Order: sequence, then C-alpha cells, then structure tokens
Amino acid sequence: MDGSVKLDEVVMRFGDFTAIERTSLEIASGEFFSFLGPSGCGKTTILNMISGFLTPSDGQVMIGGEPMAGVPVNHRPTAMIFQNLALFPLMTVYENIEFGLEVRGVDKRKRREASERLLALVALEGSGSKLVTELSGGQKQRIAIARALAVEPRVLLLDEPLSALDLKLRQHMRAELKAIQRKTGITFIYITHDQGEALTMSDRVAVMSAGRIQQVTDPMTLYRAPLTGFVASFVGENNRLEVKVVDRQGPRVRLDGGALGPLMGSAGEDVVLANGQAAALYVRPEHLRPVDDGYTGPRLETTIEAVHFEGAWLMLETRLDASGEKLRVQLGSDLAKQAAGMLEPGRQVGFGYDPEEAVVLPDDGSPVVDEATGEVVETSAKGEAEAGGAHVSSA
Amino acid sequence: MFRQLSERFGHPLAMAILTLLGMWLIVMVTLPQLQMIDYSFRPNLLPAQRGGPEDGWTLGNYVTLFDNEIHRAIFFKTLWSSVLVTLLTLVVSYPLAYYLAKVATPRQAALCILLLIIPFWINEILRTYSWFIILAFRGPLNEILLALGLIERPIRFLSGDAGVMVGMVYAYILFMVFPLYNAIESLDDNQIRAARDLGAGSIRTHRRIVIPHAKPGIATGCIMTFMLAAGSYAVPALLGSPGSRWFTQIIYNWFFEGGNWNQGAAYAFLLLVLCIGFMSLVMKFFKVGLGDIAK
Ligand SMILES: Nc1ncnc2c1ncn2[C@@H]1O[C@H](COP(=O)(O)OP(=O)(O)OP(=O)(O)O)[C@@H](O)[C@H]1O
Ligand SMILES: [Mg+2]
Repeated sequence: MDGSVKLDEVVMRFGDFTAIERTSLEIASGEFFSFLGPSGCGKTTILNMISGFLTPSDGQVMIGGEPMAGVPVNHRPTAMIFQNLALFPLMTVYENIEFGLEVRGVDKRKRREASERLLALVALEGSGSKLVTELSGGQKQRIAIARALAVEPRVLLLDEPLSALDLKLRQHMRAELKAIQRKTGITFIYITHDQGEALTMSDRVAVMSAGRIQQVTDPMTLYRAPLTGFVASFVGENNRLEVKVVDRQGPRVRLDGGALGPLMGSAGEDVVLANGQAAALYVRPEHLRPVDDGYTGPRLETTIEAVHFEGAWLMLETRLDASGEKLRVQLGSDLAKQAAGMLEPGRQVGFGYDPEEAVVLPDDGSPVVDEATGEVVETSAKGEAEAGGAHVSSA
Repeated sequence: MFRQLSERFGHPLAMAILTLLGMWLIVMVTLPQLQMIDYSFRPNLLPAQRGGPEDGWTLGNYVTLFDNEIHRAIFFKTLWSSVLVTLLTLVVSYPLAYYLAKVATPRQAALCILLLIIPFWINEILRTYSWFIILAFRGPLNEILLALGLIERPIRFLSGDAGVMVGMVYAYILFMVFPLYNAIESLDDNQIRAARDLGAGSIRTHRRIVIPHAKPGIATGCIMTFMLAAGSYAVPALLGSPGSRWFTQIIYNWFFEGGNWNQGAAYAFLLLVLCIGFMSLVMKFFKVGLGDIAK
C-alpha cells in the first residue's frame, strides 16, 4: 500500500488568477505532512487537486506512483476531512461511518464490524446509533475521522479539521490525530494556518505564501533555519532588523546595523549573501537576554515600554534607542527573577543575543500583517520577484 | 400579535388592522365556505319551495357521485391523472432545480430562472392555447416530426390524456421547481463533495444525500402541483378531449349548465377532501410536518 503523493510541476489557475504557482513536491508514504500558510494562500486548492475536486491547469498529481489525471474523485485512494466536517446530518453515526463501505457493496454485518472497530479507534464506542446532530464538536471531529478511515484510504487529507474546536480540545485532538496516524500508518496531509498545529504534529511542513511553497522541511529546521523572510516572520515570533552585510566567514556573518552599530548573525550554507548587500537579521524574542555594561558581543540598547507577565515567562515590549523600532523580548522566569529590579517601563536596558541563533537572510521585504488576525500574510513587494526560495542555491 | 402590532403602530391602528384582518377572514373566506357547505347538504329546490317541507339537510348530493358511474370514474381518473402530472412534473423539475441550485454559475441560474418565469407573465389560458396550437393535428410539432421523418402520419396528441399532461406539467412546473430549488440550494456543497469523496457515484449521491435533504421541498412541490392539477379547469377544458374530462369540468357543469349549485357544491367539497387526503398522505410518506412545508 503505497501512499506517496507527488506533485509534478503542478499549476492551478482560475481564469487570470494563478492560485498555485508551478510547484513540485514529494510526500512519502506514511508521512505526516502539513501545509502551513495564511488564509487564501492556496492550501485548500492544493488539497483539492490531490483529492480530485480540481484538475491542475498544468502538471500532474501522482498517488502511489500512479498518475491521477482522469481518475475521478470517487475512484481516488484518498479521503478528505472537510473544513466544516460535512458529516451527513440526516444519518446516524453508524450510517455516516459505513457510507463509504455501503458504496463499495460491503455487506451489512461486515460494515457494522468495521464501524465498531473505528469507533473504538476514535474512543467513541457505543455512540453508533446516535444522530450526528446529537454529538459535541470534538465527537463530531472524531466521527469525521472514522468516516474517512472507513474507506481505508492510502492518503488522508485534512483541511483545517480542528479550526472549529476550542483551544483545549484542539490541543487534545492534535495528540489524538498524531496517535491515529501512527497507528494506521496512512499518509496524512494536513492543512492549517496554525503554526502550533503544524509544528507539533508534522514530520515535515511546507510553508506557503500567495500560491508558492516557501520552504519544505522538518519543524525544528523550519523554526531554527528559515530560508525566506516570510517563513522567519510567519513561523514563531521574530524581531526583524534591517542591516547590511559586511562580510561572511562560514555561517557567521558580520553586519552593519546602521544606527544600531555592528551586529552579528548566522546564515545557512544555502543562503547566498554578497558583501554590502541589504539583508534582514531575525532575532527571536526568547533569544534576547539583558546584559550588563561589560558585555562585548553585539548588543541592542532599548527602553522598556511595557511588561506583560505571562506565567511561565515575561514579555517585554521595548523600543530600540538608536532607530525607534520595536523589539519584543521574552524572558524565562529565572532570567526575569534575576533582572527583576530593572524590568520596568521607562528603564533603559541593553539586550544581547547569541549570533548563532540569529538568522540573516537577504532582504525580501518587510512582513505584511493582517490587521484582523495579527497573522503575517506575505512579505511586501520589495524583492518580490526573487521571493520563493530564489535565494536558495541548487545545492 | 396584538401586542406586537400595538408596539409598532400604536393602539388604535393595531386595533383597526386586526379588525380588518378579522373581517376579511370571516366575510371573504369563512362565510362563503360555510355557505357552500350548507348548499351541499340541501336539495336543489325552486325558490318557491325553499323553507318548505322538502327543504332540509340531506346527504343526497354526495351520494350522487357514488351512484353515477361516469362521474365516479372521472373522479378517480382525475385523482390518478393528477398524481401522474405531479410525478411527471417532479421528474422534469428535479434535474432542473439541481442544475440551478448546484451546477450553474449565479449568472446562468439567474438567466434560467428568468427564462422560466417570462412565460408566466402571460395569462394561463393563452399559454395553454399555445400548446393547443403546438400539439394540433396539423400543428408545428407534427410538421417537424414529419419533416424529420420520425413519424409517417401526424399524431392526434390532443385526443387522449397526453395533451392535458403536457399542458399541466408546463403550467405548474414553477410550483415544483421553486420549492425544490430552495431545498437543494440550502444543502452544503461539502455534503455532496464528501459523498463523492467517499466513493459514491452521482445516483447514490442523489439518493442518499440530496433527495433526503430536499424532502420537504419535494413534498411542498408535490402538494402544490397536485392541488393545482386536481383543481385545474382551463387546461383540461382547452387541451382535453371528450375522453379526458376532468372532475372540475363536471363541477362547472353542475353550477353553470345544470344550474344545480347544491350538487356542484357537494362535488367541490369531495374534491377538496380528496386534495386534503392526498396532502396528508404525501406528508406522511415523506415524514414531513406542516412546519417543514411552511419554511
Ligand atoms: N473556484 C475558484 N475560483 C476562483 N478563485 C478561487 C477558487 N478557489 C479558490 N480561489 C482563490 O484561490 C486562492 C486560494 O484559495 P484557497 O481556498 O486554496 O485558500 P486557503 O489557503 O485554503 O485559505 P483558507 O485558509 O482561508 O481556507 C484564493 O485567493 C481564492 O480566492
Ligand atoms: Mg482553505
């Protein structure tokens, strides 16, 4: 049972609008693969091409090594869990789960056995005769999973299936989904705009922006070594400083921060930087820590504007003295305790960071943030033409 | 109701509205009906005999139907033909309604609906006449079929029930299409997609997903079409042949040719009872309540 999925030079256009730019990607059988990106970036469109609801304008989709061109939705070895679940409201839980088997002409006794087994898998034994309208949100979620698994798909496609649940349930279901995936060994292709979901569950994540895949890698690498400014801003929180490259030795890059003075950062092997080039330095809030006057590494002088106590950590909103830009700092509780006296609004504090943890990328524009959601939507037009991993050398 | 109205319009106006509404219901709706019921239970007498010894309540007018073999046959034929018209209209309307609700782009749907409605700006009699012309022995339909070589001799479409059927399906199609359209419209597209995704072909998707969802709409459409068909006068009068008489025509004859209003009223009530019976049967069959239909 080969559940590998391959997108081969796939393009999706709607009239003049290109929803998915030319994309190639291979997803291994049994992998938990996520597409992560802001609303409208084309995630559902990709899923619809895999499931067969959309036919690519160009290129082809392969599942288990077989080209899917001309194979209709109801004959593909995939099953989809819809954004709104789309359970059949006029049917009982049993009927919902057994629908796919009924279609395949499986006899009633076998169907019931299968649905009991699946109900056990999703921990809902005994609710088979209920109407789906009688279930809670989390229960509906599980029935949707059971219904999709009933047809024994090689690939399960999940379109933001947890978005309708509350936070607690969402976190619980993450663990459950991951467990089900391990147990069944089915390829899961998971769509989300929630980076927490993508990072915790996935073997690999593809970050998308405006119809392009920006980076495909495992969650840890994605967080530590983003390849584009979009990924750096979208995945986790990041402070972005505009700098110029002075020179580079291996991964270590010396930078000219203008008014901020000399700075340091590191860049991956794949990232091409020329001396004197405009670049962006990304420093995560949790990598900053207060330093005293004797500190000789790169430092950022700031004035604290607000302090938010968040339980396990302290979030500081500060402003850089030299440029007036905002800088967010997150301190663990032990650091916060040490520096207790000096962390008050109005105080001037210098922050240092480990250059190894600060990423330098060519400047591909500042992030554009959606006012409503506070989510990074894309990077601004500056350098747009080169975005999308164009800086990534072919090695 | 009074409270809501008086909050909105003030006491005197609310009172006036309710009084008018009540009057309208009583004078225009209830009283005539009661009058007809009363008629139907009295013998047909000359004005001079009214109030005389022969006047009194009787079931005689109702019994006539069961005594008169021809009338009885026409009564059941009307019932059967109306059921047929209803089914035929349903079969024609369902694909159309599904197309309008789920397949067509909004523009196409708007255009289609407009095309469906335009003919209804014309009076029903005229529309029916146009079918009379189309279906006539030397009419355009026969001419076309002859020209295409599909038939060798013109067909008498208007001699049996066929003409009446076609005319009625055409006359009442909107009353079926719109309830169906509304019902199918409200089905979440993802339901259909989910069924497809789980492997269902289109027939099964309709049978298991779309039709069960559209049931109240189907029931509404069937009830309306049946009522209109059973109570139709113009279509059978214009497109029917002597062999395809409709019960409404008999009622008409009692009233305006036989001059026997009492007998006519009794027949009219029997038709009403038939319609109500059919309606409750359909509702029972589709397991829908009055509330679902009113939606
Ligand atoms: N059938 C269509 N016709 C025209 N444009 C479409 C169609 N489907 C999607 N689009 C456009 O393609 C883009 C990507 O849509 P898609 O639904 O894939 O986004 P998404 O990433 O799933 O967003 P969300 O997180 O909001 O669900 C959007 O700009 C959308 O407007
Ligand atoms: Mg989507």
